[in-house]
Amino acid sequence: MLRLEGVHKRFGDLEVLRGIDLDVAGGQVVCVLGPSGSGKSTLLRCINLLEPPDRGRILLEGREITGKTTADDRNYVRRRVGIVFQQFNLFPHKTALENVSLAPQKVLERQGAEARGKAEALLDRVGLSDKINEYPERLSGGQQQRVAIARALAMDPHVMLFDEVTSALDPELIKEVLDVMRELAAEGMTMVVVTHEMGFAREVGDQVVFMDGGVIVEQGGPAQVLDRPREERTKRFLGLVLER
Amino acid sequence: MDFITNYYFDFGVMGDEFSRVLDGFWLTVKLSIISGVLSLAWGLVLAVLRQLPGRALAPVRWLTIAYIDVFRGVPLLLVLLLLSGFLSAAQFEGVIPRELGLPTWFGETSPFWWGVMGLTLTYGAYMAEVYRAGIEAVPRGQMEAARSLGMNHGQSMRFVIVPQAVRKVIPPLLNDFIALMKDTSLVGILGALDVVQVGFDVQTEQINGSALTLGALMFLVITIPLARLVDWLIARQQRKTERGGGPSAGTSGDVEPRPAGPPATGMAGA
Repeated sequence: MLRLEGVHKRFGDLEVLRGIDLDVAGGQVVCVLGPSGSGKSTLLRCINLLEPPDRGRILLEGREITGKTTADDRNYVRRRVGIVFQQFNLFPHKTALENVSLAPQKVLERQGAEARGKAEALLDRVGLSDKINEYPERLSGGQQQRVAIARALAMDPHVMLFDEVTSALDPELIKEVLDVMRELAAEGMTMVVVTHEMGFAREVGDQVVFMDGGVIVEQGGPAQVLDRPREERTKRFLGLVLER
Repeated sequence: MDFITNYYFDFGVMGDEFSRVLDGFWLTVKLSIISGVLSLAWGLVLAVLRQLPGRALAPVRWLTIAYIDVFRGVPLLLVLLLLSGFLSAAQFEGVIPRELGLPTWFGETSPFWWGVMGLTLTYGAYMAEVYRAGIEAVPRGQMEAARSLGMNHGQSMRFVIVPQAVRKVIPPLLNDFIALMKDTSLVGILGALDVVQVGFDVQTEQINGSALTLGALMFLVITIPLARLVDWLIARQQRKTERGGGPSAGTSGDVEPRPAGPPATGMAGA
């Protein structure tokens, strides 16, 4: 489904990704852990070409999306890869419904009624059928993030990327977002999830990847990486996180 | 003392010349509204051209920046003189059609339309800078969210960035409109009978400034309420921002993320 081969990315003098190889099979959930600055977010942003990699290849459903890409290629990728951000990034001048139906109307050229119908169904699915006409400023963080998930799903993505989507939320709002993601995983969505939620990684992850310093230090099943880490760096990180 | 009050506030002169001054003011209003609307549109076009992405479009960006710098940097009067002179000379020489060089569209005179063109060229540049500030004030995450949903740059600007940017800059745009309205008086030098020119004619004929005073009062009837409106809009925006319910609350980078996970060991946000 998604394959990364030797992906490198640098910002000026800072080499953020130093050769990432990763295979994500269809329907798999890959959870990416690691300290701040380890390159997790950049990895996601490379996958949907918000930050094109400097070196290496990324293949989406067998088609290479790196190298010489045109604007059309990038738009092709972004229609198939949905992303949800830490800061939600909802469009503040549009209602929940409009946030979800905008891109399908403009990009997929769906008719207004069809796009709205689908948006309503998606908002219902994330438990917000009573909030469709609210503006983001009137929604809680958890609700905003669920709208953001519905918005990404409206483009019928084949892969969903989650970039620390619960890190900006108050603790009591985290569960409602994770529940939506659990459901999505259960329905067979292919997902790459950057997270600090160990419980989620353990429960939902098919693969857990530990990154540090721009490389993948360790990867494997959740039980293996979280309970029996082989690498010293992984152990240290997990020790720090679990101490909390 | 009497001389001073008579010079400025001779109600006889004001009454006699009232309709003439009002006609002039009506021309000023038409000139302001047409130039104002065209400047708003032209300024937005310039601002969007200036934000075009990619290396290939760099020349367009440079040309736009050069245009904005030049028209912000030279006096409007000079633009009006050069433009009207060129247009009338060019149509005389047959370089451009007469209708373009000596326009008399919708029953207005050529000086009127030269004024519209000069004001739009200059104020478009001013307003482009205002729009730019607004566009740059929209959080980066908005463009990323739009692009990640498959919208191209143009769609992202049109449906996501510009609508938010325009809301932010309505007060400064209105300020520019007030300045534009006052600057319409320069068009009188091309022969347009705007309120200032009419008042000046009366002053020359009667050695009395009351018609100009009357014109000033007419300006103030429009400009003072507009200035108050600007103040009110700014105060409203500030209230929204202060109570955290502003249009970008929760969607911009100003929300401090909950410290999650281990202490930062490297560059945050990478």
